[in-house]
Amino acid sequence: MSGRQLLAGLVTLGMMALFGYGVWAVLGTLQSRANHVVDPVQEQALLALPGTLYLAQNGSIYRLQGLHFSRLATPKGDWVQVAPGPGGDLLAVAQGQGYSNLYLLNSSGQEVRQLLQESSHQYFDNHFVFYPRVSANGKTLFYSWNWIDPYANYNVDYEVRSSPMADPGSSATDWSLPLYYQGGDVQPLPLSNGSLLYVKYFNSASGNGAEYSELAVVSSPGATPTYLTTPAQNCSEPALNPQGTEMAMICTNNQLQTSTLEVASWNGHSLGPLTELSPGPMAAAPTWSPDGKSLVFMDVPQRALPFQLYWIPKAASAKPGAVQPVTKNLSLTATSAPVWYG
Amino acid sequence: MAAGTRPRRRRAGLSTHRSTFSWGRHPALLAFLVVLGFAVSGISGAVAYFLPAVTAALNVTGHGAGNSGGHATHPGALGTATPAAPGKPFTVLLMGSDNDTKFRPSSVLTQTMILVRVDPTTHHVVMLSIPRDLWVPLSRGGSAKIDTAYADGGAAEAIQTVENNFNVTINYWAWIGLGGLVGVVNQLGGVDLIAQMPILDVQYPYDLTGSNPYANQRISILPGPQRLDGVNALTYVRSRHGDILEDIARGQKQQELLVDLKDSVKQMNLADVPRIAGSLGNEVATSFGIGQIGAIASLAKDFSNGDVTQIVMLGKDYSSGTVGTESVLLPNWPAINALIAQNFPGS
Repeated sequence: MSGRQLLAGLVTLGMMALFGYGVWAVLGTLQSRANHVVDPVQEQALLALPGTLYLAQNGSIYRLQGLHFSRLATPKGDWVQVAPGPGGDLLAVAQGQGYSNLYLLNSSGQEVRQLLQESSHQYFDNHFVFYPRVSANGKTLFYSWNWIDPYANYNVDYEVRSSPMADPGSSATDWSLPLYYQGGDVQPLPLSNGSLLYVKYFNSASGNGAEYSELAVVSSPGATPTYLTTPAQNCSEPALNPQGTEMAMICTNNQLQTSTLEVASWNGHSLGPLTELSPGPMAAAPTWSPDGKSLVFMDVPQRALPFQLYWIPKAASAKPGAVQPVTKNLSLTATSAPVWYG
Repeated sequence: MAAGTRPRRRRAGLSTHRSTFSWGRHPALLAFLVVLGFAVSGISGAVAYFLPAVTAALNVTGHGAGNSGGHATHPGALGTATPAAPGKPFTVLLMGSDNDTKFRPSSVLTQTMILVRVDPTTHHVVMLSIPRDLWVPLSRGGSAKIDTAYADGGAAEAIQTVENNFNVTINYWAWIGLGGLVGVVNQLGGVDLIAQMPILDVQYPYDLTGSNPYANQRISILPGPQRLDGVNALTYVRSRHGDILEDIARGQKQQELLVDLKDSVKQMNLADVPRIAGSLGNEVATSFGIGQIGAIASLAKDFSNGDVTQIVMLGKDYSSGTVGTESVLLPNWPAINALIAQNFPGS
C-alpha cells in the first residue's frame, strides 16, 4: 500500500468517525425546542407597546421599552415579584430559603430602601411577604403576609396587612382574617374610597373538596367581606383600570387546569357581568395600560410551553381587539403581574 | 545458489502479486466498504445517543410477575398485572413513595395511590386517589393502612390488595420516587400548572438535599397559573400540613399535575427520550413495556382536559378512627363500591 493510499484510508476512517459523531450530535439537535427559552435581553418584542413595562423572569426584573428588553441592575437576589411603587419606583419581592423580603427599587433597579425584613435566625420568625401594593395616596403599603398560629404551627395561612409606607416595619394592621388551613388571603388591591379588594381562598371540605377563590372587598380592617364573584367562577388576580371603572381578573369557571381572562365593569361596590377576553388556556397576571384602554396579560401559546406576554387593544371597549403576542421565547414569571408605566 | 534463489523469487513473486492489488481496480468493493464503514459509524452514533434510553428502559420498564428486571433496590420488581387487550379500556395503578434516606429502599410506603382508567375509544380518563391511611385487609393477610402493602410485598402486594378491596382489575402499574418526579419534570423543561390555592408549609420535609432527612423547611407556592420546576412541582403535590383536607387535597393536586404532565409529554419527541430516560435512575419502575409507553404517549395526544374526571374520596367514603395507636381512615365500602361501579365499569 502506497503512502498515498494509507493517507486516503486514514482520512476516510476519520471521516467515518466524524460521521458517527455527527449522527450523535444531529440527533441531539432534534430534541424538542418547545421549551426553548432565551434571556429577555436577547429577545426583541413582537410589537412596541407605549410606555415602559417591568416584568420578572428567572429571578431577575426586566424593563421593556419599545421593542427592547434590558435587565435591571438590582441587588443580588431571587426577584420573584414586581409591583408599582410611589413616584415611578418599584416594589419588589426577593425570595430566600423559607422567607421573602420586600424592597423599594428605583426604575433602574437600585435599592432605595428595604421595606420589610422577613428573614430571621429564629425559624418560626421567618415569614413570606408577597403581592405588595401601595395606596393611591402613596402613604400605605398593603401586602400578603404569612401568619403563624401560635397554637398550631401547621396553620400558616396568608393574611392581608397594611403598614405605613414611611416605616413599614414599625407597625402592621390586619385587614383580613384567613380561613384556617385554606391558603388564606392574597393579592390586595387598595381602592380609592379606602376599601380594600383582595382574593380569599376556600376549601369546601364539607362539600366536594373543591378549592376555589373569590374576590372579596372590605371597607375597613377586619370587616366582614362582601364577595364579588362566585365559587363556580373561581376568580383571582384582580386588576383595576386607572379610571377605576373596569376590573380584569383571571377565572377558571370550574374548568380543569384552565384559566381565562375576564373583564367586568366596576362601580366601586359591585361588578357587572363578566366578559371573557381570552380563553386561555392558562391566562394570568393582567395589567391595564396607563391610559386604561388596553391590557397586557400572560399566557402560554400552547399547554406545556412557557408563559409569554400578550396584549389586547381596546380591552375596556364593547368590541375589544384581538389578542396579540408581545413575546415569543421568554419564560415570564406568571405570578408577578407586569408593571406598566406611561 | 540457484536453489537458494527460488524461494526469494517466490517471495518476490508474492510480493509483486500483493503490490499489484489496487483498490482502483475494485471500485465496487471499495465503495461497498466505505459505505459500510459510514453506516457502522452512523449506527454507532445513534446507538450511543439512545444508549441511556435503552439502559433506562431495561431497568425501568416491563416489570411483570417475578421479573426482577435487575431492579433489586425497590419492591416494585415483583409486580403482577394483567395487560389489557389492545384498544380496550385499561386501568393503571400509579404509586408514589417518599423514598428518601429515612426509609430502606426496599421497603417504602406509597404516599400516593391513584387508579387511572383510560378508555382509548371514548377518550375518557378517570382518576381516583386512594387515601394512604385507608385501613384495609391486605392480600397477604391481616389489616393495615393501604400504604403498607407496597412496602411489605412490592407492587404485587399493592396491586392484589387494591384489586381485592376495590373490585377492579389492574392492567398496568407504575411507581415513582421523589427524585424521579423531580427529574422527569426538570427534563420536560418544567410543568405549567394552575395552583388551586396558596401552598404554605413550615414543616415541609427537607430531605431531597442535606444530611438530615428529618429536617424541615418553610416552603411557599403561590396560587394561580405558573410554571414550576421539578422541586416546586414535587412541593405542590407533596405538601399537606397547610390544607384542611391534608392527604385528600394532596391527592387532588397530584391528579392536577398528572393532567399537566400529559400536556408536557405531548411536546416531546423521540430525540428527547434519552435525556428524560437518563434522569430516571432507580426512581421509576413500571409494568409497561417500551412499546406500550410509546402507544400511550401517542394516545395522550388525543386527550383533552375536558375528558378527565377527577375523583377523591371525601367524608362520605370513610370515617376517621383509631386502630391501636394509629390514626386511620375506616372505609365506608358501600359508598366506595358505588363510586367504583360508576367510574370503573367493567373493571
